[in-house]
Amino acid sequence: MSGNFLHRQPILRRPDGIGGALPALTLIALFFVVPVVALLLRSVTEPVPGLQNYAILFGEGTYARVFFNTFLVATVVTAVTAIVAFPVAWMLAIMPPALGSIVFGIIILSMWTNLLTRTYAWMVLLQRTGVINRTLMDIGLISEPLPLINNLTGVTIGMVYIMLPFMILPLVGTLRAIDPMTLRAAALCGASPFDAFRRILLPLSLPGIAAGGLMVFVMSLGYFVTPTLLGGTSNMMLAAMIAQMIQSLLNWGLGSAAAFILLLVTMALYALQLRLVGAKRMTGGI
Amino acid sequence: MLLDYDRLGWLRAALLGFTGLVAAFLLLPVVFIVLLSFGSSRWLAFPPPSWTLKWYEELFADPAWLEAALTSARIATMAAILAVVIGLLASFALVRGQFRGRNTLRGLLLTPMVLPVVVFAIAIYAFFLRIGLGGTTAGFVIAHTVLALPFAIIPITAALEGFDKSIEDAAIVCGASPFEAKLRVTLPAIKIGIFSAAIFAFLASWDEVVVAIFMASPTLQTLPVKIWGSLRQDLSPVIAAASSLLVLLTLSLMIVTALIRRKLSK
Repeated sequence: MSGNFLHRQPILRRPDGIGGALPALTLIALFFVVPVVALLLRSVTEPVPGLQNYAILFGEGTYARVFFNTFLVATVVTAVTAIVAFPVAWMLAIMPPALGSIVFGIIILSMWTNLLTRTYAWMVLLQRTGVINRTLMDIGLISEPLPLINNLTGVTIGMVYIMLPFMILPLVGTLRAIDPMTLRAAALCGASPFDAFRRILLPLSLPGIAAGGLMVFVMSLGYFVTPTLLGGTSNMMLAAMIAQMIQSLLNWGLGSAAAFILLLVTMALYALQLRLVGAKRMTGGI
Repeated sequence: MLLDYDRLGWLRAALLGFTGLVAAFLLLPVVFIVLLSFGSSRWLAFPPPSWTLKWYEELFADPAWLEAALTSARIATMAAILAVVIGLLASFALVRGQFRGRNTLRGLLLTPMVLPVVVFAIAIYAFFLRIGLGGTTAGFVIAHTVLALPFAIIPITAALEGFDKSIEDAAIVCGASPFEAKLRVTLPAIKIGIFSAAIFAFLASWDEVVVAIFMASPTLQTLPVKIWGSLRQDLSPVIAAASSLLVLLTLSLMIVTALIRRKLSK
């Protein structure tokens, strides 16, 4: 046995190499990196070589409006999501497990429900004759139906709905990691609850808010389905514009240039997020 | 005492009330769509004048819906299997490998999750048109495997990181080959991670809309493409019926997951 052990020793010491990752690497290189790079090349070669596609995108007001809409919606969605998610995550972090698991169940159900199903529900709920307008009119709060759909209000409501779980779940982790003793110490030293919140709880949860917020912001920037269905044609966002340039206008040069801008912004924010929370913490999020 | 549930005082009532409101907000569309699917109004009046099953009858009378669902199930199953196998192999290298650029590799393999889907969708659409995979099942499966891979890698690497490698080494010391040790010691130990990976990878493909819209052909469309097409035409209650069945599927998946996790962790 001892001879066997010595004999096996080198095998034990040998770490796993890169070998196992080769199938994944091949898949990603061939069917992700190559197509994306090829697409981006089209932005500087079609219809003729040069940067004219970018000049058009940055030069014309129509496109500036799309970029503005996109950043505006992403910013508002991120802010609203963070403000709504924080108290919920706070409660979830300290709630009795029996009660908490009900709320978690609802969050997971909403998150796992088909995206189109959820968006369809909001299309029906928010329309002129929809339940929300009816209810508001019945209780006399408004006399005319509010325009809740085919505008940025509709997009924002639908997006906040979709993004909430992505903010709540990581924040629960952050809040659970805070030692309750720090807050007890603050109370003992005479801090009011408001002071304790402002000077201890909020700063300590800031990394979680920043990480979740960046994720929501990045996801919102490139979102296609919900803005397309709830925003209508006059309030286009970037992802929808890219799809339209390719699918309906067959303008590959302009479409891929717009795609490159979206990719660049997304990747820059992703890199920032990695630096902020570290690759491991972020990928442990699921 | 802000993190002490029993000593929050009036703040607790306020926060609980707010949490309840948000939970209701999250539940609202899901419940609403199910109720709507049983309502008799074609114009989606709510509350409906009466209750009916006719939208479900209409749904099942149209073979295109069933066909789209079967297509989705077929593609999602294949993509999930591929993503889990490839992801499992990659996870060993990512967690235990000692080579330069390991973190870069991890970042690269997870990028499909971060890059906006619309960018990948038009890129792979153009690429497949060129190499003749456009509108084919193989093309669908490959594209969805790329998108599902991060969702397989994340839970498997997490499980593998939590597994003590010396147990696997002990099996090798006791005479198992390294492969045998992985198969019979390590894999059973990380089965919850693998199971989660399979579920996430399946859902990543099953619910995927954007790539599917570009890849679909008149003869090959997945369920989300079918729903998308109907949504662009009108808000027919038949979509509510189809959606309710999807909600039912989600619920059963959640329950099965909870049961299996409980059983596996014993």
